[in-house]
Amino acid sequence: MLILQALGFGVVSAALIAIGAMGFTLQFGLTNVLNISYGGVMTVGAFAAFGAGELHLPMALEVAAAPLAAALLTWLLGRTLFAFYARRGAGVFEMVMVTLAVSLILQYGIDAASGEQIYRFSFPQGASLHAGVFTFTVTQLVLVALALAVFGGLEFLLRRTRLGKALRAMAVEPRLARTCGIPTGKIVNVVWLLSGALAGLAGLGYVINSLTIDASVGTGFLPLVLAAAILGRAGSTRGAVLAALLLGLVTEEVAAAGGAEYSTVAGFGILAIVLLTRPAALAGQATAKAEITV
Amino acid sequence: MTKSIHLTLAAVGVLAVAACASGSGGNGGGSSSGPVGVVQIAAYSGDQAFEAQFSASIDYPALYAVNHGGGVLGRQVSLIQVDTRSDPADALAAMGKTLATTGNVAAVLGPDSTSAATLVPLLNTRHLPMMIAAGEAAYDRSSYAYLWRDVPPDPANGEAIALWAKRQGYTSVATVFGTDTGSQGDLPGVLTGVKAVGVRLADQENLTPDQPSYRSSVERLLAAKPQAVITESDGPTAATFFGELRQLGSLLPIIGTSGTPSDSYFSPLRGAIGDAAFGTYFRAVVVGNPVSNPAVAAFNADVLAVQGKLSKPVSQWENNSFSESGYDAMITLALAMDAAHSTDGTAYNNDIMAVTAPAAGKEIVYTYAAGRAALAAGHKIQYIGASGPLLFDKYHNSFGSQAVEKFPANAPAVVVGTITQAQVQALNG
Repeated sequence: MLILQALGFGVVSAALIAIGAMGFTLQFGLTNVLNISYGGVMTVGAFAAFGAGELHLPMALEVAAAPLAAALLTWLLGRTLFAFYARRGAGVFEMVMVTLAVSLILQYGIDAASGEQIYRFSFPQGASLHAGVFTFTVTQLVLVALALAVFGGLEFLLRRTRLGKALRAMAVEPRLARTCGIPTGKIVNVVWLLSGALAGLAGLGYVINSLTIDASVGTGFLPLVLAAAILGRAGSTRGAVLAALLLGLVTEEVAAAGGAEYSTVAGFGILAIVLLTRPAALAGQATAKAEITV
Repeated sequence: MTKSIHLTLAAVGVLAVAACASGSGGNGGGSSSGPVGVVQIAAYSGDQAFEAQFSASIDYPALYAVNHGGGVLGRQVSLIQVDTRSDPADALAAMGKTLATTGNVAAVLGPDSTSAATLVPLLNTRHLPMMIAAGEAAYDRSSYAYLWRDVPPDPANGEAIALWAKRQGYTSVATVFGTDTGSQGDLPGVLTGVKAVGVRLADQENLTPDQPSYRSSVERLLAAKPQAVITESDGPTAATFFGELRQLGSLLPIIGTSGTPSDSYFSPLRGAIGDAAFGTYFRAVVVGNPVSNPAVAAFNADVLAVQGKLSKPVSQWENNSFSESGYDAMITLALAMDAAHSTDGTAYNNDIMAVTAPAAGKEIVYTYAAGRAALAAGHKIQYIGASGPLLFDKYHNSFGSQAVEKFPANAPAVVVGTITQAQVQALNG
């Protein structure tokens, strides 16, 4: 019974992870920047929504504040700081360190600005709905629907539009794409904005679900997002969604089986096993010699 | 040749420092003039650096009370902060350095659980009375003459919770604890207590902190049908868990350990389950039985007097039983020095019992200033602190009663029950 119920919980967890992982993998696949500051951006998005809520703005604005703030921040970081270091020849590893520094600055900056406090995140949860053994709140169903909509939208964008084709071309061979006249600068702008918006949505989804917000929400959530993105193969939204689903289900099933304290470990155990048995999962992802495209 | 000279000099230097740090005999309470040094050993850095704000809520109000009450033997008390860096080895090095370089150390507040194993023997050898904040059972019946403890041993709080659960008529409870060190440290006492009082443990949930969801754990807890939940975790974890408990089923009575009452725990949990439900369902069994006596008023006044040095909101320190115990510790040590007319540990150690134990004809005092004045007038005193009477047993342990509190919205905590020291000790035979 509980094992069955956990499937439903796993889907909700997977939806949260998937939104973040799709944004991360999109940006990582194109730019080759393993952006550790993505967690901090998720926090910024969540706090933007929190701030809007504290100002008693309409709920639509509260929700919109998260992706907007996160998109703007990501774009600014990408076009200024990351671009600066890329122009100076920073490689993949150096860029990881830069993004790690940004992540710490964001986290502790927010910590200082928020008075090092933990706040309640008030958001309507809606009624509890029962379908067989499954129980969901309305908001949880909305989060699942949102994840599906994001997935559908990204799939359409990547496979059915010129922008998507250009983006995929750049991800595979950026120099050739430039030679072919693809406006790489504009494409990168779109990716920064899009991945930032998804980071903001993921951060918002996290705090809606956990009901609290503090400066560490994004950095605490990042490992699961990162695991899904890596497990799903960089640049693959389908892979990210499937990996998120796997992680969500495994963590909840392990918790349901009595090992709540091991649930997250189990998720990462899968990642470790996949990387051990199928190192090609990382094929095409960043290597020390890969080109940074920012 | 140069290398061997350097090695020789280094060896001589190390030996000299070691000789200074490990010299036999007491620290002597330092000089007989100038400020009286009281060491606060705590984690000011490292993963337990959160201790610093708790230490501040003890040290500054107590210093204010003593120094504005005339000082010890007319001398001001100065605070010497020793950083354990959350590591027992670092704590030993830091304490050794302090003792080697500071001549006026008369007493020690601490050490805590992290560093007690390394520091207690050292401080005892140096004849420095210490009021430890470590709850380990090893100190329940210790032979360290200079060790004193006015906080309960670790299992005592869990045992008091179990006694409260039994008293409420619960026959089946569940535990929900974070997997962080602090929360897990209090779990064994709860499990021991639950077993000892004969209450069934229906479910045991250990939660990895800061996960986006604990729905599966919530469902398993609901399936086990406990009548109450005993809990300790960080605030966000509690908020997520109990928020989902409310969504998926219905709230149960929640009994928090003494590690739960703080703004960082209450605020998120109140937000998740609502103020009304929090007031109805949540209780905490806290160390120290909040009493209404002049010492409490004095403590709260001293907290407000030094509020600029305390973390905000300052209201979290008022009536805070942990802070009150530490505050009482420093005042007790200071009064003992006054009673012995000495800051030398060997001279005043026995007076710690003398100024706290009840006896006929003693003048009961609630503040340092009153105690100092009574001693100066030649009276024998019993200091009753903000945490209540300090009744040290022959092993120098005093932990008094524990209070069960509820926390209405926008109102002070309300005591709804008491578990006495005798009741807890009876549980252990």
